[in-house]
Amino acid sequence: MDKLLRDKKAIILFVAPALILFTVVLFIPIGTSFYYALCDYDKTTRSYSFIGFGNFIKLAKDPTMRIALKNSLFFLVFSCVSQLIMGLLLAALLTNITKGRNVFKNVIYLPCVLSSAALGLLWAFLFHAKVGINNLLANFGIQGPAWLYSTSGFITLPMWVIAFVSLWQYVGQSMMLYMAQISGINKSLYEASYIDGASKVKAFRYITLPLVKPMIGTAMSLNAIGSLKFFDLIYSMLGDKTENLKMDVLATYLYRTGFSSKGGNHYGKASAIGVILVVLCLLATGIINKLFKTENYEM
Amino acid sequence: MNRTAENEKPIKISTILIYVFFCFMMVLYLAPLFWIGMTSLKTRAEIYKSPFGWPEAFQWGNYAVAWKAGKLGIAMLNSLFVCVVTLILTMIIGSMAAFAIARLKWKLSGAAMIYIMIGMMIPVHCVLIPLFVRFAGIGLNNNLWGLILPYLTFSLPTCVFIMSGFFRSIPNELLESACMDGCTIYQIFFRICFPLARTGLFVTGLMTFIGNWNELLLALVFVSDDMKKTLPVALTKFVTPYQTNYDKMFPAIMIAIIPTIVVYCLFSNQIVDGLTTGAVKG
Repeated sequence: MDKLLRDKKAIILFVAPALILFTVVLFIPIGTSFYYALCDYDKTTRSYSFIGFGNFIKLAKDPTMRIALKNSLFFLVFSCVSQLIMGLLLAALLTNITKGRNVFKNVIYLPCVLSSAALGLLWAFLFHAKVGINNLLANFGIQGPAWLYSTSGFITLPMWVIAFVSLWQYVGQSMMLYMAQISGINKSLYEASYIDGASKVKAFRYITLPLVKPMIGTAMSLNAIGSLKFFDLIYSMLGDKTENLKMDVLATYLYRTGFSSKGGNHYGKASAIGVILVVLCLLATGIINKLFKTENYEM
Repeated sequence: MNRTAENEKPIKISTILIYVFFCFMMVLYLAPLFWIGMTSLKTRAEIYKSPFGWPEAFQWGNYAVAWKAGKLGIAMLNSLFVCVVTLILTMIIGSMAAFAIARLKWKLSGAAMIYIMIGMMIPVHCVLIPLFVRFAGIGLNNNLWGLILPYLTFSLPTCVFIMSGFFRSIPNELLESACMDGCTIYQIFFRICFPLARTGLFVTGLMTFIGNWNELLLALVFVSDDMKKTLPVALTKFVTPYQTNYDKMFPAIMIAIIPTIVVYCLFSNQIVDGLTTGAVKG
């Protein structure tokens, strides 16, 4: 038996396809991406010349990059905080009811599996300046704001709209994770606390919250990576308008720098944005894991 | 008796409040989807005039027009091809790797697991440009296989992760008795472990399929040929900088999301379980 499980040839046959794929499609390109980030790409000759940190210096001075970075960090913070609050709230409330729990759970989770591109189009229409929600408001004599075109404020209105849409779409994911954790908590803990005279709110504060803390770390890092990767919704809601309206995030700016028909093919600069994105992802997950690192309680 | 009544009363009010809250949430979640359906059956003038009203007459013809104008048939076929091929390859390659990592005995299995798990943390944007340049060099751009390769790679970590959990839960005695009966390691995998991990395969399969069905960025970058576009890309084409054809756009949205909704309704419990197990242990 043991000999069979140590069969070198079989081991190699089993893992080789996955590892080769990973190396070729993921790790070598990551390395290349770091190299490209340090290069200037010449469109006409299709050649790369090493320029050190030139791209990063250029990006540091680039006003669009600053907007993109600001918006991405806004999404990061907003999604981490809002998903934590809403996800926990929904999960805590759902575990308190029995009838219809599955229906509520499944419906709230539904948008997570739907295409962001399709839902983005829907929301773009609902937040259209004239039709959509503003049409409804006009019936009551209220002049609605230009949801997706306003450019005033530090964080512009469109960013808030999109942030809430993404909360709507993805809160199911966090809710699921918290629910899985909460339903794993031993019921006797609650019974004991009720006998000692604790209210439901207190039980939540002193039993549920400490015990879901490890899951907060996991869910929040998922949110953080997701919000930094954020592309589909913005692209389908704003399309190519991101440029004029100061509504770029890192992913859309990367896409525009690298591939858009107008300002495209700056592969060096786009790679530099990609590198910044990865570094941010790793930083965010690192910080979150440090913040929520707890010993696992016995449950 | 009196005391229990007193104890139950506040709980009941809170329960009612919870139900009211969730009914509100249901409206918030289902109304937009319902509304897409309604709007997709209106004429263009109607959409502008009364965006929230009931359609005067059901314009089923909108669907045919959108289907043709957006080349949705071909887009759907492309999406289906890419997703199915990715799905099959992910299941085979992923569960093979998971089996080796979970059950076979070699020194580097832990390291291999970490190597694959890193893939979960890396956003696809970072490899977009190198992959695009490389694929353009070997003729994989504008080619559906050029989409399948990265999709496959980015689907593997979750698959390996979930499947290795399933393989670990298979009792040792089963493998030992198979071994006694003279099974080779390949037979153990394909005849015993692979069929036993059906549930895991099903869950990973669904997740892989849904994830790739919705993917936009890679598809947008790698494919520029109209005949090779996938469904999400075809959808974004309904919005042009100058005008938006809402009467075609809404049927197109419906066409795009109905398959996912059907799959979700059929298998929602498995999908939900799979997604949570996948993330919980990660």
